[in-house]
Amino acid sequence: MKTTAPMNNSLREPAETQFAEELAAIAAIDDRQKPPNWKLSPWAVVTYLLGGKLSNGVTITPKYVGQKRLMEIAVATLATDRALLLLGLPGTAKSWVSEHLAAAISGDSTLLVQGTAGTGEESIRYSWNYALLLANGPSRQALVASPVMRAMELGTISRLEELTRVPADVQDTLITILSEKTLPIPELSVETRAQKGFNMIATANNRDRGVNEMSSALKRRFNTVILPTPETLDEEVSIVQMRVASLGRALELPGEQPALAEIRRVVTVFRELRDGKTLDGKAKLKSPSGTLSPAEAISVMSSGIALASHFGNGTLSANDVASGLVGAVIKDPTQDVVVWREYLETVVKERDGWKDLYRACRELL
Amino acid sequence: MTEGVHLFGIRHHGPGSARSLARALAKLKPDIVLIEGPPDANDLIELAKHAEIEPPVALLVYALDSPRSAVLYPFATYSPEWQAIQYALKTKTPVRFIDLPQAHRLAKDATPTSETAEGATEAQSDSIPEAESSFANDPLQPLAIAAGYSDTERWWNDLVEARSGDDNDVFAAVHEMMTVARETLSSDSNSDASPDSSSTNNVSAINQVADTLVERQREAFMRKCIRDAQGETFTNIAVVCGAFHTPALVDLSTHKADQAILKSLPKTKTGAAWVPWSYERLSYYSGYGAGIESPVWYELLWHRSVALGAEWLTRAARLLREEDIPISSAHVIEACRLAESLASLRARPVPGLVEYNDAALAVMVNGDALNMQLIARRWHFGDRLGKIPESFPASPLQQNLAAEQKRLRIPAKAEDKTYDLDLRENNDRERSHLLRRLRILDVEWGTPAATTASQRGTFHEVWQLRWQPEFVIALVAGSRLGHTIAQAATSAIVEQAVNAKSLRQLVELLENGLFADLPDAIQPLVLAIENQSATAADITQLLDALPPLVNVKRYGNVRNTDVELVDEILQGLVPRMLIALPGAATGLDDEATHALWEQLKSAQQSLSVLGDEAYLNDWHTTLGKLADNESLAALLAGYATRVLYDAHKIDQENLRTRLSLALSVGNDPLRASAWIEGFLAGSGTLLVHDETLRRALDEWLSSVSDDHFTQALPLLRRTFAHFPFPERRQIGQQIGRRNQPVAAKATQTLDFDAEAAATMTNLLLTIWQAPSSSPASNDKESSQ
Repeated sequence: MKTTAPMNNSLREPAETQFAEELAAIAAIDDRQKPPNWKLSPWAVVTYLLGGKLSNGVTITPKYVGQKRLMEIAVATLATDRALLLLGLPGTAKSWVSEHLAAAISGDSTLLVQGTAGTGEESIRYSWNYALLLANGPSRQALVASPVMRAMELGTISRLEELTRVPADVQDTLITILSEKTLPIPELSVETRAQKGFNMIATANNRDRGVNEMSSALKRRFNTVILPTPETLDEEVSIVQMRVASLGRALELPGEQPALAEIRRVVTVFRELRDGKTLDGKAKLKSPSGTLSPAEAISVMSSGIALASHFGNGTLSANDVASGLVGAVIKDPTQDVVVWREYLETVVKERDGWKDLYRACRELL
Repeated sequence: MTEGVHLFGIRHHGPGSARSLARALAKLKPDIVLIEGPPDANDLIELAKHAEIEPPVALLVYALDSPRSAVLYPFATYSPEWQAIQYALKTKTPVRFIDLPQAHRLAKDATPTSETAEGATEAQSDSIPEAESSFANDPLQPLAIAAGYSDTERWWNDLVEARSGDDNDVFAAVHEMMTVARETLSSDSNSDASPDSSSTNNVSAINQVADTLVERQREAFMRKCIRDAQGETFTNIAVVCGAFHTPALVDLSTHKADQAILKSLPKTKTGAAWVPWSYERLSYYSGYGAGIESPVWYELLWHRSVALGAEWLTRAARLLREEDIPISSAHVIEACRLAESLASLRARPVPGLVEYNDAALAVMVNGDALNMQLIARRWHFGDRLGKIPESFPASPLQQNLAAEQKRLRIPAKAEDKTYDLDLRENNDRERSHLLRRLRILDVEWGTPAATTASQRGTFHEVWQLRWQPEFVIALVAGSRLGHTIAQAATSAIVEQAVNAKSLRQLVELLENGLFADLPDAIQPLVLAIENQSATAADITQLLDALPPLVNVKRYGNVRNTDVELVDEILQGLVPRMLIALPGAATGLDDEATHALWEQLKSAQQSLSVLGDEAYLNDWHTTLGKLADNESLAALLAGYATRVLYDAHKIDQENLRTRLSLALSVGNDPLRASAWIEGFLAGSGTLLVHDETLRRALDEWLSSVSDDHFTQALPLLRRTFAHFPFPERRQIGQQIGRRNQPVAAKATQTLDFDAEAAATMTNLLLTIWQAPSSSPASNDKESSQ
């Protein structure tokens, strides 16, 4: 897809542009065997995702913080030409991992179909340029290829977000593409054969209601990796810190980077409410209706920074975080208010050094 | 290395080590084989050549004076030690165990210092001897991990297969590695030692010191054994021991120092035996330190070296299919491919267990680890149980059990099996006796299972059977109690009876004894029960003992048990209980009253089941005293009245008098409602059928003042809430039917507020109806 705006001005760069230097550095030392049409070897892709120091001295930032095993399974799956299905709660870095995998393997993470209840077959296969179709009849020129079809032609990775939101009958369009690796175009009596290197990464939310369950025939075409919520507080804090820093750069937020302590506090609130008990395991808590994923912690932090820099003195304070925090926790205006109020009064109020956060949150209620 | 001594550092239960060792021994042709193992069992090694012995088996070494402290040395076919034993026996080479004898180690545990006492006995009773430090357990693992392998066995395999030449080179290499590793790691191997062997820090610190001391003693003993072998002019000595120990066995010139370490070790007499073992237990900690993760996978590694993964994953697929998870061959193929590409991604020449497990998880069960747990036990452990020929020496109890199992056709199996025993059949009854006797000896081979609808009837008994290899320890321990299962169980019961604290415990023992058909245990038990009931000050104990006793008496006949003895006990127990009851029932708080009420209810049930006229008469007389006792809790008085009424001991007229007395206005309404609760005893049938009663109750309720009504309401509601819904509806209907005409008539003749009456009626309806969830039926009522 050609980007219409000048590159340096876009709100968010795709992964392959944002991390172009790292990708180049890895490619420079990558002498391992590459599957056909892959830009990097599987080992290099895993290194790119998990970060580390290369032999040529370049430091690769970690993109995914968590079990190495999972990333290895994901990359190995793509290397065997089986499609990959990433499952997880909202905000467990499914799309993020999928984008970086596509960027590292194919150098292009933009061949993306967003799955919705309205996604039709033509978004997965192809549609027509109706002016040309009516003028000249069916021809290759009149055909508009979907991102999936283009990935097949180019031999790259295509991405399908929120697979289970796509209606079941449309989902099954994928079966031929994934097992036979061809896409028939009966109107032209031709078919598009996938080039080597083509594969698909789908993501889906495994705890959402109202989704379209995948047929077992389609399930069989995917290897599944479930991305868990971070195991430890430190892991989660480092995820949030890393992402907040990079978002701040991308969004050109002025002001200093938030103190680790503030991030830790937000993550602690999130973890405690999510797990339904305090970190020391001494008190039980009610859980709010939202999922409180790391992704939401990240957005609380970055909105806090924005507030602090544009309206405050540039230093992140409890007041700046509080509004985002309250918004993230209270998704249901009746139930969650009770949960939040209880948490404030029983946990936040009592905790040493949390007085400022307590006061800031109290004011907002 | 000393001339003529060849050290083979192996990994316990390592198929790779086993294969290399078998080849190396065949090449070396040693004139004696020394193996790390308990010398206490030296005499038993010879038996391992028996054609019918089938691994997994274990050598059980136990202290004769306290057989509960026992250590087990398990062997699978692919254990290098087993292969070494087999080689030696086949080639008629002398073979010996050279580890520090358990005679010393168990003796130390038997006389621990006061501080370690708790930790040590705990560990022993679980049959887990002190674990070696985690490093010593699998010394190759850190090396394998350093080499980038997750699976020590695959690393070893690759190491061996890659060096297709002389297997001796491999052992030399391992020896060198261990020498270096021990030098560098010796300091931290202690710090992370055996976190699981004790619960408190205090004990663990002491254990660590003891651990290293034990290690030093063990190695000193091994050196001594090697020197002894040299002294006997063996010149080509093969020493098979954990790789961790080889560096310590090189220098044999430590004669003096060794003697000092081994001097004046405590000693106890030990016994040893071959016992069958199971793969599941192989995965636990044992005499050879850490267990192994997946015995079945190792077996696969031992039996074949190609197409491993296909077979391993196919097994998983078949197990998953049994769990109704549809897995096609295509899944297996894809999982194999994924495992291979995972291995290449992790830079491993071949996929290991970890890769296969990861692949199975991602391909077969959609990444959901829960589904994998469904089959994990069978996939990794299987249900293989080793076999020991009958001719092997075993403790008398084991022999007796084997004979009984054969006689009653009830074989020991490692998997779950359900038996539905019909107690009218001789064979089944004896099976039941056997299972119960074993339970008395702490061998929980069978657990009673719930009967299903089709198995109703007192002659049915359903058992869930599952044999665990460590039952052997309990059997060995039980040997001190007798030479047959029956004898041992009898002694065990009598022993427990001496220590029993409460009458209930004694009665349960009696129940066990009778049902397990142990006539010799009964007489002492009866005596103990009689003594206890004579001295028991607490009536609850007596009341508690009644139901199980009656149970025994009632079902005893089906089992051909002698129940006359129970009669004797009852003759002593029932009168005591009845005499003590009126005194014990007074002055109780609410909670105690309710507890006693429950006991009275079960006593009533038991006595009526028993149907003995004399007892019942006495029972009713006692209850009559309770019913008349004004100072007694109203709940109990009400209940007593009810029992008497049911038994026709008081007539309708009498009942009405009592009812109105209890409900009279002068009475505290709380007391009145408690009386009603006791009287109705959880069932409203009486109210449905007895018009008089119903009316008395209705009138009382209508007459209480507002304040009192509010007080009484919760109690009444609680009482009525327990009644089944149809009963409540009937009561409500009947009251409604009666009240309407009465109310109508009343307005004509008396100055009566009809509106108030209607409100009252509605209120009553709400009470009878109280927790009804169906508004439809409410509508029906109000329309009547």
